[in-house]
Amino acid sequence: MWTATVRGMLAHKLRLVLTTASITLGVAFLAGTLMLTDTIKVAFDQLFGKVSSGSDAVVRTQTAYDQVAGVSVGRSPISAAVLAHVKAVDGVSAAEGYVSGYALLTDNDGKAVFAKGGAPTVGYSMPADTALRGAVRVRTGHAPTGPSEVAIDATSAEHHHIALGSQIDVLFRGPTQHFTVVGTVRYGNAKDLGGTTGAYFDTATAQKVLGTPGSFTQIDVRGDGTVSDAALAKRISAVLPKGAEAVTSATVAKESADAFHKQFKFLDVMFMVFAGIALFVGAFIIWNTFSMIVTQRSREIALLRAVGATRRQVKRSLLVEAALLGAGGSAIGIAVGAGVAKSLKWLMGVLGFALPSTALQIQGRTIWVPVVVGIAVTVVAALVPARRATKVLPVEALRDATPGATRPGRVRAAIGLVLTGGGVAAILSGLYSGAGSSNKVMLGILATLIGVITLSQLVARPLASLIGAPLRLRGVAGDLARQNAMRNPRRTASTASALMIGLALVISMGVFGSSLKASFGTVLDKATNADLYVTPSNIHGDGFSPDVTHLVEAVPGVATISATGYGLARFDGAETTYGSVDPATLNQALNLEMVSGSVKALGPKGVLVQTDVAKKHSWKVGDTVSTEFAATGKQSLQIAGTYKTNGFLNGDYILSNATHEANTSNPLVGAALVTLDKGSDRSVVQHRIADALAHHPDAKVLTQREYRADIGGVIDNILTFVSVMLLLAVVIALLGIVNTLALSVFERTRELGLLRAVGMTSAQVRAMVRWESVVISLLGATVGAGLGVGLGMALAQSLKGQGITQVSVPIGSVSLYLVAAAVAGVIAAIGPARSAARVDVLKAVVTD
Amino acid sequence: MTITTTPISVTTAARAVGVTKQYGDGDAAVRALDDVSIEIEAGQFTAIMGPSGSGKSTLLHVLAGLDRPTSGEIYVGDTEITSLNDKRLTLLRRDQIGFIFQSFNLLPTLTAAENIELPMRIAGRKPDALWVRSIVETVGLTDRLGHRPAQLSGGQQQRVAAARALAGRPQVVFADEPTGALDSRAGAELLGFLQGAVRNTGQTVVMVTHDPAAACYADRVVFLADGHIVADMPDPTSSSVFDFMKNLGG
Repeated sequence: MWTATVRGMLAHKLRLVLTTASITLGVAFLAGTLMLTDTIKVAFDQLFGKVSSGSDAVVRTQTAYDQVAGVSVGRSPISAAVLAHVKAVDGVSAAEGYVSGYALLTDNDGKAVFAKGGAPTVGYSMPADTALRGAVRVRTGHAPTGPSEVAIDATSAEHHHIALGSQIDVLFRGPTQHFTVVGTVRYGNAKDLGGTTGAYFDTATAQKVLGTPGSFTQIDVRGDGTVSDAALAKRISAVLPKGAEAVTSATVAKESADAFHKQFKFLDVMFMVFAGIALFVGAFIIWNTFSMIVTQRSREIALLRAVGATRRQVKRSLLVEAALLGAGGSAIGIAVGAGVAKSLKWLMGVLGFALPSTALQIQGRTIWVPVVVGIAVTVVAALVPARRATKVLPVEALRDATPGATRPGRVRAAIGLVLTGGGVAAILSGLYSGAGSSNKVMLGILATLIGVITLSQLVARPLASLIGAPLRLRGVAGDLARQNAMRNPRRTASTASALMIGLALVISMGVFGSSLKASFGTVLDKATNADLYVTPSNIHGDGFSPDVTHLVEAVPGVATISATGYGLARFDGAETTYGSVDPATLNQALNLEMVSGSVKALGPKGVLVQTDVAKKHSWKVGDTVSTEFAATGKQSLQIAGTYKTNGFLNGDYILSNATHEANTSNPLVGAALVTLDKGSDRSVVQHRIADALAHHPDAKVLTQREYRADIGGVIDNILTFVSVMLLLAVVIALLGIVNTLALSVFERTRELGLLRAVGMTSAQVRAMVRWESVVISLLGATVGAGLGVGLGMALAQSLKGQGITQVSVPIGSVSLYLVAAAVAGVIAAIGPARSAARVDVLKAVVTD
Repeated sequence: MTITTTPISVTTAARAVGVTKQYGDGDAAVRALDDVSIEIEAGQFTAIMGPSGSGKSTLLHVLAGLDRPTSGEIYVGDTEITSLNDKRLTLLRRDQIGFIFQSFNLLPTLTAAENIELPMRIAGRKPDALWVRSIVETVGLTDRLGHRPAQLSGGQQQRVAAARALAGRPQVVFADEPTGALDSRAGAELLGFLQGAVRNTGQTVVMVTHDPAAACYADRVVFLADGHIVADMPDPTSSSVFDFMKNLGG
């Protein structure tokens, strides 16, 4: 049996290659994902290990709860007075106050030096004690001293041609200041810290420009080696005032790294989902291929049975073939995975998400998990066809029966309808029941997909007939193509299904993104009365300096500028995003559609609550909401009003800017809304504001249209990324079409020969195969598009009230996908069409 | 048989001039046809006979443009076909030649009517409805036109194939063992029908067969052995063919 299995596989090289490829791609994605996420993890661990390598313990203020907010966990600064107590502790050899905060470098032309991929731009104090600097080394020039000197990271210096001695502006939360670059900094051998930019000042200057004089972000401590780090931290803790704590540097490094891992967790999940989709589609191709193999080999199988092979042996032979295929495909997949990991990283970079880098990490798990998954998927996909093979009767070896398509039954229809109906119900109930039901939605989507796939065999015939109808005009080649696509609905349907899945997902994302964009446009249109918007120049950045609002306010023609921000806090126990506004000026610029209370009443101890949320908690104006900020702890905020729309500001809670600032360390402005004096010309004022911001490259002024395009660009970027990932599934689906066509051509050798004998030219034969391919592709694409539009609309609909106000179907891009599918069909047909045209007429028509 | 180089005799539907077909090279070379020349007269029913391996099928294939001879010339009507490229040869088959094979003559996805009209539809021409109907009536398929091949008996399928071959009024119809897969009654029906087409409409038919009973429907039987024409028998009868074959085979 073994020899028969292996020989059988080698006999059909093209099929072997295509089937293997469909497994390889999915496995490669899985392996690549594992490699990439391991690499990111190791990179972050190294990064934070490096940063804290100079100190043994860290003194800082406690937080009310652990909050993840990028590099700087939101802590209050610690008083400088603590430093003297720390220094006096037995076992401390050196201790120094350390300050970090927002600092944006500019180059020699005054342009902002943004960190790649939206990484933070950070300013630090440079410890005077070189040992405390750890891996942070001044490589050229010298460490900054005095109020006008700065040292910068080597990457910024190189990429933006900032030479030593350059005079540059550095932007802070407060006023911009002028500095002389006196040094460049490296981190071990790295030229930057995981893509961030760094500006280094002496401690006194850093206190002034980054934080508040008289306090530090933290105190770095080095021991004299007589006690362990943990013991040292414990000793220091004993002398600290309430609200401060001492922890080992290792703890801090681990916390920071963990925080980053959490932030990048979504990448793991996202890539795993994409890998899963690729494998699912790949499984389809395998199932399809094995079904065709069984049909084709039914005489061979019957012969084996006739000479004494048991059912079990027949089944095992097929499953062994599947396992061999899976093992081969997976092995290649892992090799390809390294390339996938690199290109994923590159792709993320292109789209603005730079990831820290280190050598590509390949762990044991990265090898065995994809191999096991690859083999399992292949064998499971081959199970049903293998079972069908056992039903081949020995007597069939004697019959001259051409494999015919069985009519799909009522049972199938019932199962399909139940799955589809149940799936749709699960999606809807999952979407509308709020948070925590994403599993339900995922299961619903899966059930719907499988349901539609099950049903697709029933509708494949009429649909192919409909889609192929225009082909009748293309003469006999077109007509035959249409009939060929219709003749085996099961095969056509399962081939098209792979493409359907891919396109359904791509298009549902498209619908979702398009709805998001349309909604943002509506929000700007309806909810804001602003004439102009001031937004961060770096759309991935945190925001811009509050200084900007003061500058813009002074521009002639500007009536009001209303700054908004956002932050994280626990409201009634659950951490969520809140928006912050300026109650005095907001009403001119933004219409929140207040249901009760008023914006003006929003004081420093007040909060506005979204009306649905208020209803859920039975809150009314005047009630208190227990709130907890990570930096400052518990507070009771009083509800000053409830509002309906929150499209422009994120979250269900709105605070005043004053409250926001008081409870967050050094917040930036997210966006500001500008209204103009009556009668002043918008474009004139826009120019004036732009001029005023000449030395503030962290902010830019936009009209509504420009702002919309800006946000649209970000959404498009994310959509592009997701679509590129999903297109992998589409590529696998196309391999499936090639596979099916190749097999059909092989099966129809005699027909093709007959057609050639009675006068069909090779060009007509090629056209026939090509059109069949187009019909199959379009069948998958149209069903997929329908499904995707439905899915996307459901998704968008479910998020109404959470920023999405409008459901929009991107008809342009959906039609583009359909055209692309047809073109892809043509491409998939190139090989099979060529071999169809090359059929030896004589061999085909002569009975041997 | 004289070899003439004068072109186009109006009474010649097809001819082979010094045709050799060799498979393989050197010691392994096999000559299926060895310098064969033959004229197929228009309006005649010609049968080609011979034992297995005599080259009879090869002769039919090269005459019909399905295979290319190693050397020699083949004319269909007034066209020399060995020098035609694949496309021109295909078009020639489509427009000037009709085929009936031993089996698998029909496309399973097409109805009987569609199969009959297939060559014309490939050519993008409208079939001559009256002519097609008269052929269909003759072969007795009128009530089977909407059926697909799988719903027809073997004899009916071969009659559909014959109708297809005749529908385009080709220069020559080539039939390769057309009754090989049929029982004797269905075979007799088909042969009678082919004979009728020759007698009544002047159609030229060339048929390869190994069955003496089939050969006697022809106006002339050409015998092949070892790649040579060994006899040319006009107005054959079943017994004369049988006797000759017995000698040839023995």
